[in-house]
Amino acid sequence: MVSGLKERFYKIEFIPYLVLGLALLILILFIAYPLSKVLLNSFLKTDDAFSIQNLTLVNFSQFFSSSLYKSALMNTLLVGFLCVLFSSILGIPMAYFVARTDVPFKTVFLTLGTLPLILPPFVGAYSWVLLFGRQGVVNFFLNEMFSFTLPDIYGAPGVVIAMTMSLYPFIFLLTYGALLSADPYLEESATIMGASRWDLIRTVTLPLVTPSIAAGALIVFMRAVGNFGVPALLGGNFYVLPTLIHFQVVGFFNLHTAGAIAIVNISMVGLAILISQYVMAKRSYVTITGTTQGAHVSANKILKWCGTIFCSGVIFFSLLPHITVIVTSFTEGWSGTRYPTKFSFENYQRIFQIAKTPILNSLFLATTATVVATVIGTLLSYIAVRKRFHGKWVLDLTVMLPFILPGIVVGVAILSGFSSGLVVLTGTWMIMVIGFFIRRMPYIFRSSMASLSQIDISVEEASAIAGASWGATFFRVTLPLMAPGILAGAVICFSTLMGELSTTIILYSAGWKTITVAIIEYLFSATIGPAYALGTILIVLVLSAITLANRLLGRKMSQMFKMV
Amino acid sequence: MIICKNLVRFLHKENRPDLMNQKRPITLSIQNLSKVFQGKTKGVVAVDDVSFDVSEGDLFTLLGPSGCGKTTTLRCLAGFEKPTHGKIRFLGRDYTTTPPFRRNIGMVFQSYALFPHMSIFDNVAYGLRMRKMPRQEMEQRVNRIIQLVELEDTQKRKPSELSGGQQQRIALARALVYEPQLLLLDEPLSNLDAKLRVYMREEIRRIQQKAKVTTIYVTHDQEEALAISDQIAVMSDGKIDQIGSPDEIYENPQTIHVADFIGQANFLACSLEKKDQESTLLTFPSNETVLLGHNMKRFSDFDRSNGLLFIRPERLEITPGSGKMNSLRGEVKRILYLGSQVRYFIQVFQQASPQEVLVDKNRRITGVKEGDDVALIFHEDDIGFFSQE
Repeated sequence: MVSGLKERFYKIEFIPYLVLGLALLILILFIAYPLSKVLLNSFLKTDDAFSIQNLTLVNFSQFFSSSLYKSALMNTLLVGFLCVLFSSILGIPMAYFVARTDVPFKTVFLTLGTLPLILPPFVGAYSWVLLFGRQGVVNFFLNEMFSFTLPDIYGAPGVVIAMTMSLYPFIFLLTYGALLSADPYLEESATIMGASRWDLIRTVTLPLVTPSIAAGALIVFMRAVGNFGVPALLGGNFYVLPTLIHFQVVGFFNLHTAGAIAIVNISMVGLAILISQYVMAKRSYVTITGTTQGAHVSANKILKWCGTIFCSGVIFFSLLPHITVIVTSFTEGWSGTRYPTKFSFENYQRIFQIAKTPILNSLFLATTATVVATVIGTLLSYIAVRKRFHGKWVLDLTVMLPFILPGIVVGVAILSGFSSGLVVLTGTWMIMVIGFFIRRMPYIFRSSMASLSQIDISVEEASAIAGASWGATFFRVTLPLMAPGILAGAVICFSTLMGELSTTIILYSAGWKTITVAIIEYLFSATIGPAYALGTILIVLVLSAITLANRLLGRKMSQMFKMV
Repeated sequence: MIICKNLVRFLHKENRPDLMNQKRPITLSIQNLSKVFQGKTKGVVAVDDVSFDVSEGDLFTLLGPSGCGKTTTLRCLAGFEKPTHGKIRFLGRDYTTTPPFRRNIGMVFQSYALFPHMSIFDNVAYGLRMRKMPRQEMEQRVNRIIQLVELEDTQKRKPSELSGGQQQRIALARALVYEPQLLLLDEPLSNLDAKLRVYMREEIRRIQQKAKVTTIYVTHDQEEALAISDQIAVMSDGKIDQIGSPDEIYENPQTIHVADFIGQANFLACSLEKKDQESTLLTFPSNETVLLGHNMKRFSDFDRSNGLLFIRPERLEITPGSGKMNSLRGEVKRILYLGSQVRYFIQVFQQASPQEVLVDKNRRITGVKEGDDVALIFHEDDIGFFSQE
């Protein structure tokens, strides 16, 4: 009895180490291993085994010899820069108007200004063709009234417009947040010293929010150079790196060349991160403030009207493609005429006959991946916040890598990791779930980390001292307190996975088509009706998930993307 | 868990005859405890070879400035930190590596650490749930303890609906409800305002006495420590400077640090010379001399030619005018009126090496103004000596 008692008292808790070890193992197996395989592949010839002598740069040589590769590289950079430029032109003034002037409907602007982030960009992309294309509505009018035709929407203009309209919210929301929380006394003291409104914006307001703008610009750039769907639909002969990777994988199943392109694509992102870090380091200010007073809001009438028109305009144009999707989904055979001729549910009837499987597939894959990502992501965030060990940054970097990598690169990595060797998963739903969960786990990781770091560690210690084991403390205290953060992350994870295309396009197989694959296939074959009916279903599913979560959490939609 | 429960029953105070004895046995014994935190380049010694014993039912206070290692010592007792060296023995058993949840300890945190997602009832019942106590008994126990802290009507509310003082008492109730053999309090009053702090420290003392629980109390507030402790350990730089009752600590500080940290203290350089069987001559830097009896504290192990006289401001007398026998000459530099007392700043050793001496009085002394010359008088049983550092 006594010795048994003693043993119990001395026994060290092994459960936390077991659980956390498992989470780390998954991290290594599903992120570190595939990514290192891509890196390795890109420096090896297709059939060579790995050895130091076999390392070669031959896969990269096309960037010097092939004009297709050269132009794709330049195009990708061009798209990235133009998207950042135009997103800033739209996002920064809009943020200023909503945060600092008394424009009406601020909540509406904020909510609608967040929508493009949730709605998958490629779904609306084709609408730009319907609206501004050669046969589009706008050209009909221009032709009739002024005998004037817009330049071709296919190629760079379409790609940049479609991406900008879906990416500008990153800059808008981040700048808005910074403008809102900036210390009003700084601006007041500048005014006292004689700064006019324009001086104020130029010398105080803008410099103070530069780090936030830079952070937003970085995300826009990363998304723009990594997007596959939009250039695939609107690019035509305008190739970018993601479409080139797709070409290599689907056309030739050449993972080595694809890997090399992926590495170039990644280096672009890496370079952008370095530049933004440089900007942020130079412009990082510690603002000492203890005030709870909100930022100064201008009551200027002219600003108010300009702001209202500007914001409404941006929001109208950014949602126009999605409105077009929904409206078109209820029409029959609208193309070649000015207006839709007949409205019906025919498209929906059709897709319920032929496209039920993709909907179910998407729901199944997104749900499974979200569950896995939630469990692993939460545990990893627990390790990252609560455990003390050396090299914690490696953990953080590994989890966040898939977030900064282009989706198509993640797809190539997973395919490289699991298409040969010990574990072959090609063609199964599992390979898709793996790709999905590592790609979106960063959302849950960051969101639960934020919630966990808000929890006073002594609350957990209070539980332990009251007699609760690690497991009991985790489930009774830590988890319930983290729940809102986890749920917010999980909903974003689920809804963005429903619209996921970049990774899917590499990993899907005939039996596991998703809604997004079905949509893009229909669009490629110009079967717009069913494509848009599916698109509408997707939009409705995503919006309901987000709305439901907002209701449960009592948050506003714009707050859900705070962590990005 | 069953074993744990049996243990609770086994050690339950009603079953323990030793409590009835006047001489209280030692329950907690800390032996050569050290804690080194691994820093970037070198280890940081937070607790340095600390040893002390705590008697059953005592309120034992670890007192010291922030960073002195008192909280780390407490966290070692709780099991949140693993000691680098040393042993923690509790009720004759080695607790050094026992995980916190198997220690059967109650703890009140500086931030109270109430579970924000649980009602007050669930907060208090938490430890009992962990001990798998039947519902009915649990409710009785919770009701009894909530009565003890006098917050009967709060059971259904959430912690955020309670005031700071109420949260504090609930935290205490939560820590005591499962009748731990040891209660740890980590700066429990530091988040309360001054008035409530005074009230709550009496409350904590009352509840602790009623629950008859051995308690370790961590604070940086010396007044608080003097007011509620049975024993105080004064800490600095990870070491214990002195352990003793509040009286001993205040009246007989063993080191300059203790004398300086507890209350206000005046230190005056002087040398001592034994005159005869009855008297000792003190010589100050200004060559002034004072003849005193032998009845002084710390008369032994310090350097007599280079000593440091210690005296509390309230034990000094001042009289107007200078040139009195057996006194020090001084000039009143400033008089600070503090309400309950008046503080005089008096400059002594004017020519040699001017130094300020504090004198506290209950009321103003008639005939003493700023700029006046005064005589400082002290009694032999109020002073102590240290070696100059």
